[in-house]
Amino acid sequence: MNDEPTHDGSANELAHSRTPTPRNRMNFSARSTLLRPAGLALCGAAALLAGCGKSDGGQTLGFAVIGWRTAVYETPYMDECPEGLAQGNDELWWKSVPPEQRAKLTRDGTIEPVTGERRAMSVLRGENGADVCWHPTSVKDPPLRIVEGDTSYGVDLDGDATGQGTPMSCPHVNFKSPDGKPGIDNQLYRILGCTYGWRHHGYIEDNANGERRDTSHGIVLIEVSGVDDPVNDDNVQVAFYKKASGDTLPKDSKADILPHATYRTDETPRYGGKAKGRIVAGVLETDPIDVTLPFYGNLTHLPLVMKGMRMQLPVNKPERFTEGMIAGYQDLANFWDYIQRYEYLLVTGQFSCPGIYVAMQELADGYPDPATGKCTALSAAFNIRVVPAFIEHGAEPSGVVKPLQTQLASNTEVRR
Amino acid sequence: MNLRRRATNPSGAAGPGTRRPLARLAGVALAVGTALATLAACSKVEPASPAQPPTLRRLTEQQYRNTIRDVFGPGIVVVGRFDPISREGGLLAVGAAAAAITPSGFERLGKIAESVAGQVVATQNRDYLLPCQPADATQADAACARRIFGDVGRLLYRRPLNDAELGRFVALGDKVTATLGDFHEGIAFGLAAMLQSPDFLFVADTTEPDPANPGKLRLTALSRASRLSFFLWNSAPDDALLAAAEKGELDTPEGLAKQTKRLLESPRLEDGVRALFADMLSLEMFDTLQKDAQIYPKFGLEVADDAREQLLRTIVGHLLVKNEDYRQLFTTRRTYVSGPLGMIYQVPVDDPNGWTEVELPKASPYQGLLTLPGFASLHSHAGRSSPTVRGRAVRELLMCQRVPDPPSNVDFAQFNHASQQKVSTARERLTIHNTEKTCASCHALVDPIGLALEQFDGASQFRTIENDTRIDTAGELDGVKFEDAAGLGEALSKSPAVTNCIVNRSLAYARGRAAGKGDNEVLAWLHERFAADGYRLRGLLESIATSDAFYAVAPPKAAPAPASRTAGLEAASNRETRS
Repeated sequence: MNDEPTHDGSANELAHSRTPTPRNRMNFSARSTLLRPAGLALCGAAALLAGCGKSDGGQTLGFAVIGWRTAVYETPYMDECPEGLAQGNDELWWKSVPPEQRAKLTRDGTIEPVTGERRAMSVLRGENGADVCWHPTSVKDPPLRIVEGDTSYGVDLDGDATGQGTPMSCPHVNFKSPDGKPGIDNQLYRILGCTYGWRHHGYIEDNANGERRDTSHGIVLIEVSGVDDPVNDDNVQVAFYKKASGDTLPKDSKADILPHATYRTDETPRYGGKAKGRIVAGVLETDPIDVTLPFYGNLTHLPLVMKGMRMQLPVNKPERFTEGMIAGYQDLANFWDYIQRYEYLLVTGQFSCPGIYVAMQELADGYPDPATGKCTALSAAFNIRVVPAFIEHGAEPSGVVKPLQTQLASNTEVRR
Repeated sequence: MNLRRRATNPSGAAGPGTRRPLARLAGVALAVGTALATLAACSKVEPASPAQPPTLRRLTEQQYRNTIRDVFGPGIVVVGRFDPISREGGLLAVGAAAAAITPSGFERLGKIAESVAGQVVATQNRDYLLPCQPADATQADAACARRIFGDVGRLLYRRPLNDAELGRFVALGDKVTATLGDFHEGIAFGLAAMLQSPDFLFVADTTEPDPANPGKLRLTALSRASRLSFFLWNSAPDDALLAAAEKGELDTPEGLAKQTKRLLESPRLEDGVRALFADMLSLEMFDTLQKDAQIYPKFGLEVADDAREQLLRTIVGHLLVKNEDYRQLFTTRRTYVSGPLGMIYQVPVDDPNGWTEVELPKASPYQGLLTLPGFASLHSHAGRSSPTVRGRAVRELLMCQRVPDPPSNVDFAQFNHASQQKVSTARERLTIHNTEKTCASCHALVDPIGLALEQFDGASQFRTIENDTRIDTAGELDGVKFEDAAGLGEALSKSPAVTNCIVNRSLAYARGRAAGKGDNEVLAWLHERFAADGYRLRGLLESIATSDAFYAVAPPKAAPAPASRTAGLEAASNRETRS
């Protein structure tokens, strides 16, 4: 089975079977003719750079997002994290273990604590053994070590270089971009940038990308239509879709994903969105939209809820892989759900749920709640890697999904 | 032959509408020509063709698999490897008439036989695969065993078992049952023995005196049934065909025509046509096809499998589903694309996990059989295309012409190190190579054909540039000039060698022996009928299947004409001894 759930439930809960299309011999005496009247359009030389399709109203380019990584700006000597890497649940727990219990767990220091026990113990260190990821206020951890550097990847999302806040943002400390542009909003980086799992070669991001490659789950498709000129075009339409679960990512002998495959879209209404865009010097830029994108990684299916999301993506490059950026505000509840679901990675990911929980409340900088004035989203930027692809529409809707229920939505104990 | 070149746009593809008036004229001419040829052909009687001694053909792997599937159902899995068959006279079907079974091959066949027999009598299968069940499964039941071996043996041996044979299998089954206390083990033992018998593994012609021609022989009706079935279905005769043979219906032209029509209308005809073209186009080469993963990362096993399948689907779709003119196979823009092949073509497909039937645009460079990856990539090197290999494949496989092997002392230095001479394209490399006089004559035969396909790299991906130089695809085929692959397809579709070749190969495939000089008249007669029928493959197959030439048999050369079913075995034995 290669099906993936269409909401954030477990794979087993919602796995649905799809009868595979027979790839066997033709039944020439019984089959019907399935020719498409318009036939297929072969890509022109320029369009070979991306999957190209229908020619009505300009060219259509398609891409599959095969790599997704939180945009973390790192300096050679980790100047952005002057206090060092953030302490994870495991480290914090171990520091709290009395010497006699340490001796017992390690047989007087001759072995490491068994991974299973260690993982459970590091998480169940809340009051009365509460799980600190599901009850992040049940223990008071030291403040999370966050990014203190002044440089970050990302975009000026609120159009405010002062950081004083706007109707769409709360006061925050801006970054400058690596090339010196001011007003860069990326508080997600500030929270996660000093945590091992999200840094270069960190387990969390590498593992998630590998799992997406191997399972073909959680893949975003990008369709750019109305392209009259792939170098400069001031009006194109950009659509984001979830890939249908039955279509796998083809790979070469090195397990790198191949370009120019066809993927069908999952028409579940929850996912995707449409944005206006433009191509400037070969780089596609989109206007902000609110969107929910599919996401899979670390055995977790989780839609990514973004507000004011925009994308920058070169669409005129001849390379097989193209790197781009998606930026916007990630819904705070959605982000916390994401952290909670990675509970089993607490040891290898080395992050502290309570630490992140407190920090995200403090650093949320987008979309203030009109009633409370508290911001409900985190500015964020993600590096994406895409391959040219063909996108076909018409896959069957895979079901109605339930609204997302999160811990944060019902938690009224914690305040900023 | 129409030598007018069609208008082309700068890319070399036909401009919109440029072909229609010509096509209309050509269509009228074809219709008139077809009608006249039909009248002529109908008035002609089949010429006599030299009868040949009976043959003994080893079942091919596909025939073995098809037979097991047809007798026991698709749920019975055949796992194992088979001895390869050598290609002779351009066909494996001809090689099968000279193929033996090696000791190791026989050992493997034994294991396959045991596996198949075990599956047939397995608890979940026995109730519907066996015609009867014993009263007590721990005891022998001679009547039931006789019925099972009789029914299954008739289908596997393609003839009824005689009493002695049946008695031996029943005795064997009873003995095993008595030893193991399991009736079905006894049946499995007997079935496995049948599947290892030469009566199953070899298709032997059996003969009898021909009442219409005293002193001469004819194939028995059961042998006719086998020939007919293996030709059209690539499988053993079914119950109805055997029954018709047993009733003597295949000894009359009417009865033979009736059964031929039934076989031609069966979905199993697809198996036969696939086997014919897999043999004719040397598709067994796919078993060892490999591409350099660095140069052609898209061309993995899936693409290779689908390229083979696409080629056969295109042929079956064109010739059987649509019953179209064979010649148009070289110009058709209709094909079938799978998800993996969509990456090679760089086109979207409706169903990435299945097949999409498509008609490529008129401007598409992919036009005709030669541009399919199943041809263009198969006849290429692992890391680059090869005009010479492709051209030779066209000459030998599609035009039945023989291109000599390169001389052993040929100097490839100029060709292999062409980069030192600042050349970019295959055409330039071959031009240098052909300064060698020993090479030039043969390359002149094949290179102009292969160079037309140079816009398809070794993985059949379209390109217009090689090493920063625009690829020149102009060429000629036996005096007909063309500009590109589409033009080559047009030229081939008008070449008499191409239609003669399919007739020649089909007859050779059907009879299991290459056509000789004495067959020229019957080949011409078949070709006339083929042309009169608008070059429809079904018609050609029917003509062959109902022809005297297909069944003509002469006494074995090295033995007096025996009126027995062992004639073929003896003839084959003699032939092997001679070789």
